Amino acid sequence: MSAQPAFAPSRRETTTTTPRSDAVERGLRLVRPVRSRASKAPFVVVVMVMLSIGLVGLIIMSTVLQAQSFEAAKLDREAAALEIQQQSLTREVETLLSPASVAQRALIFGMVPNTNPAFLRLSDGKVLGKPEPAASGSNIRSVAR
Amino acid sequence: MTARERASRRRLRFCLAVVVGVFGIFAVRLFQIQGLDASAYAAKAVEAGTNTSTVPAPRGQILDRNGVALAASVDGLTLTADPTMTAANAPQIARLLVEELGDKIDYFETIDKLRTANSHFVYLKRDVPAWTATKTLTAIKDAGYTGVFSEKESLRTYPGGKLAANLLGYTNATGKGVSGIEQQYNDVLTGTDGSSTFELSPTGQRIPMADSTVTEMVPGRDVTTTIDRDLQWYADQRLVDAVRDSSSDWGLAITMDVKTCQIVQMSQAPTFNADAGTGMNDFNTVSRAVSNVYEPGSVLKTVTMAALADQGKIAADSPIVVPSGVTIDKFKIGDYWDHGVLHLTAAGVIAKSSNLGTLVAAQKMSDETMHRYLRKFGFGEKSGVGLPGESRGILADPSKWTKSNHATISFGQGIAVTATQMMRAVGAIANDGKICNPSVVSGIVDEDGKKKSVETPAAHRVVSKKAAASVTRMMEAVTAPDGTAPAAAIKGYRVAGKTGTAWRVDPVTGRYIRGQNVVSFMGFAPADNPRFLTYIVLDRPYSSAGGGSTAAPVFHDVMSMALERFGVAPTGSKSPKVPQTW
Repeated sequence: MSAQPAFAPSRRETTTTTPRSDAVERGLRLVRPVRSRASKAPFVVVVMVMLSIGLVGLIIMSTVLQAQSFEAAKLDREAAALEIQQQSLTREVETLLSPASVAQRALIFGMVPNTNPAFLRLSDGKVLGKPEPAASGSNIRSVAR
Repeated sequence: MTARERASRRRLRFCLAVVVGVFGIFAVRLFQIQGLDASAYAAKAVEAGTNTSTVPAPRGQILDRNGVALAASVDGLTLTADPTMTAANAPQIARLLVEELGDKIDYFETIDKLRTANSHFVYLKRDVPAWTATKTLTAIKDAGYTGVFSEKESLRTYPGGKLAANLLGYTNATGKGVSGIEQQYNDVLTGTDGSSTFELSPTGQRIPMADSTVTEMVPGRDVTTTIDRDLQWYADQRLVDAVRDSSSDWGLAITMDVKTCQIVQMSQAPTFNADAGTGMNDFNTVSRAVSNVYEPGSVLKTVTMAALADQGKIAADSPIVVPSGVTIDKFKIGDYWDHGVLHLTAAGVIAKSSNLGTLVAAQKMSDETMHRYLRKFGFGEKSGVGLPGESRGILADPSKWTKSNHATISFGQGIAVTATQMMRAVGAIANDGKICNPSVVSGIVDEDGKKKSVETPAAHRVVSKKAAASVTRMMEAVTAPDGTAPAAAIKGYRVAGKTGTAWRVDPVTGRYIRGQNVVSFMGFAPADNPRFLTYIVLDRPYSSAGGGSTAAPVFHDVMSMALERFGVAPTGSKSPKVPQTW
């Protein structure tokens, strides 16, 4: 593209004669056409570098994505395993917190469910109901699951 | 042209023909693939390169009134096997399975399954919790055996085991509720499964940035019940002991908040454990509170008295002449103790549970009036508790009543009811004469955690407040030291109650069976400001057992625990002394 204007005058030079005599008359002389000295090498290098960068980037991106895909699959498996573990632990906690489990331990300690409800009114310290100690072995004797 | 040139030209032509022929074949094949079978090949390529998996929607939880899970869903696995791969090592694999799964799997049955001839697929065990199944598969893999696989599923668990089992119900192998709340609220609890489709590389790796379609699953909604887990557990235990001690066939213990008609505890013994899969037979899984129909016996005397009191025909101190015996339609009616003519008040009739006194009082109203009141109290129709398999009971039309029907229905024989119907009726007496439908579910929890209340019909009046108060005074006499159930009295509280001992009807012959009874006790406390109503029913206890001696102690314990757990303090007032004789 940059060479185009340089050739244009030379084309006119070979095809026309009248302008030359006009030029001479006006004190003009023909100059040598400007030769483009710009080398093609840097352009090629730039294109090559850009292509290389693009290609390498693409490879890196593809590799990273692949690696991430493996990582995602691994993390998925880990998450599933942890979820299973969490469910297992939650169930264990629920079992330990269940009334049956608590009562079983309480009975081992000799505790008895109290079926004589009585309350302490905080405003005046009055006892409502008739509190009585729960007799050993009364009501629930063992825990059936 | 020399001979050499001719040979060369022949060779060239031959090569050209070969090349044209090869390209011709390619062209034909290309036309076949791209032109004729294009869609089939495209579909095959898509199928080979994509993976579609179902994302199971977890079933909603069933919660107690405080948000504690009574039924929940966890990840589960079904263990399967390819017998062509497992036949050789069947005993070793079966041993590993039994070691990990315990008594959930049978050793010899498993060996047979692992050796199934001419099969590539057998189910080994369904509904295994994911953590147990994963451990089992790892153990089999580590031992170097192949051919055992797993399939994902959603598994239903009941953390309380037997706790409220008949009320909660259970799900079948496909995860559908087939009993109790699981059945009634199946549509609410069931979610919508999602799916996920994505492209895979030949090595099974998901291709990044490739097309993928994800349809989100919609989890099931949670159902909040009116049950208090701890009270439920206590009542379950207490009832199990009572059924065993009295050698009963089965027992029921139900407690209801009379202000709201919310059932806070509903126990049945014997029962089943859907979590462990034990006791799953019809005798245990039926919900007796709604589907068992029996004659209520003397507890119904409270309804008769309420009907009379509402008409102004009776009060707690009304005098009644009780004969020593009555024969109606050749049917001899007596009391459970021998006596001559007695002068009892209405309170005395209830306190001593006199059949003769009740039928004498009931003569003050016609068949139609009595029937109308029984209908008003909800007999002959479903209680509205909203549980599957509910019965209407049996209440004959008054036009078909004989004289003896009128007499016996007044004290609870010749009419068949369900336990929830009885709760509803006596609940009206406790609730100042206003009846409401018992409920077991208070709300549905949406995905965003918002609770939407379940609407229940408003309470409506069936008898006057004065009539209800009058019957309450009569019922207080029952738990007095000279009543039929002093064991039901709770120290410091005023307790109103009524015992019941009814003859059992043979379901085959429809006749009464001598020596076989249904004993019960129904009561509410505090009698001066009722909060809870508790009903205990024991079917076919040892022959001498009565409601006062067998069911009343269970009532005492369960009611005491309910009052304690809900912080219902005694009011401190004294029961008015009502004379029992005149």
